[in-house]
Amino acid sequence: MLLHLGAVLLATESQTNTIWTRLTARSRLLCTLLIVFATALTPNGRWWTWAMYAIAIALLILISRVPLLPLLKRVAVELVFVSVVLIGTLFRQGGDVLFQWGWIQITTEGLTVLGSVTLKAFLSLLTVNVLILTTSITALLHALAELRTPPLLVAIFSSMYRYINVLVDEFNSMQRAARSRNLMSDPRRQRTVIGNMIGSLFIRTYERGDRVHQAMLARGYSGLPPVAKMPQPSRLDIALLTLTIVILLIGQAIYL
Amino acid sequence: MAVTVSVFQPQLALHIPDGFLSLPIILVTWILAIALIAICLQRVQATYQERAVPLMGVCAAFIFAAQMINFPIPGGTSGHLLGGTLAGVLLGPWAGSLVMAVVFIVQSVLFQDGGLTVLGANIVNMGLIGTFGGYYLYRSIRYALGRDSLRGVLIGAAIAAWTSVFVSSIVCAFQLALSGTVPLNVAISAMAFWHFMIAIGEAVITVVAVSYIWRTRPDLMYHPPRHAVADTSRSYSSR
Repeated sequence: MLLHLGAVLLATESQTNTIWTRLTARSRLLCTLLIVFATALTPNGRWWTWAMYAIAIALLILISRVPLLPLLKRVAVELVFVSVVLIGTLFRQGGDVLFQWGWIQITTEGLTVLGSVTLKAFLSLLTVNVLILTTSITALLHALAELRTPPLLVAIFSSMYRYINVLVDEFNSMQRAARSRNLMSDPRRQRTVIGNMIGSLFIRTYERGDRVHQAMLARGYSGLPPVAKMPQPSRLDIALLTLTIVILLIGQAIYL
Repeated sequence: MAVTVSVFQPQLALHIPDGFLSLPIILVTWILAIALIAICLQRVQATYQERAVPLMGVCAAFIFAAQMINFPIPGGTSGHLLGGTLAGVLLGPWAGSLVMAVVFIVQSVLFQDGGLTVLGANIVNMGLIGTFGGYYLYRSIRYALGRDSLRGVLIGAAIAAWTSVFVSSIVCAFQLALSGTVPLNVAISAMAFWHFMIAIGEAVITVVAVSYIWRTRPDLMYHPPRHAVADTSRSYSSR
């Protein structure tokens, strides 16, 4: 029933002491953002640029010592969107026609778009997953706050992150209750039951929000939660950030 | 038919991955999304004061949990709620859009449901069009049919929920086509065909959920009906 049953259990931070984990969370986040944006914004067909970025990402995976199996599992789930592009390839005009059958034709341009988009999605997913599998959520939130994200937004994120599991649990128990009373057999009734569940969960959620607010007030809350001091960036941070930027720029310069 | 359905099913949430959109589209949608979030933050801060953090946090977790439940949609397969219009109806346009944007950001960073670079596009499609557009469509239909009648609320919610999902999918198709990723006719027909059905499921669930809240706690709705007395003493939760 749940779409991301496995994915809820994440942030298994690998406690190994590597060069990557010695960086501050802010530098890690910045590196990831730079790589993802550079990869995804490269125009279609620039294969050498991505070859270079792929080597850089492979190095990153090596030095961060991310467990490979969880990494590949998380990446594989998300490649399904590519199927739309696959279908689009069959109807695309332009370039040399390689294969034709009625309306369906495969052209060189179609294949270029398919290959480029798939590669970009794959490389970006790898990079983001390296960050997520090595950095705890709390550290990420602090990094966001240091990068001048509005404090209110960061506070909402952290409060949401705290309650995701609670609400998913509550949904699961409501669903179990409905199933044990044989309410989920007929599809029409199932929709009514799920609609009612969502309605009743909203009421509970709203009341929970009020209770949490009261509890926070009781503990001296006055607008925004306090922010802890985070480790300062060292020379290593600056060196690796510079290295990332240089690699990204060289990759782009190949096609100038 | 069965094959197409199984191929399309996992991407039905309209979440575009990285690499599918071109630079101009990404720039425009990011600017729109950042402006939307900034205004929403300001409005929510002004309305809810220091209640904003706990309330928005649990509501975002609520939408997140609601999106995980699969239900059968008329047409034979299953889908899940997007929740844009539901958030708009229950929390209002500003808080609703903020909650949806927070949900998309968390989904994209933690669960890779949608890419980082296209986050702006996903927020515009489902937060701006889905929640904001959905809310104002719902409101005009509700006020035309009678502000305090259940009929007006339900018809408004149903039409707004269906339209918001369908229009978001068409906009998403246009973004993909303008970026040169998928030809326009293929993108629109694939998206429109599939989301026609998904939108019906969205409308059904939204209507059932809203009518449940109307019957039990109408005072919690944004623009509650006038007869609803603020009777907050009774509580449904045990924890």
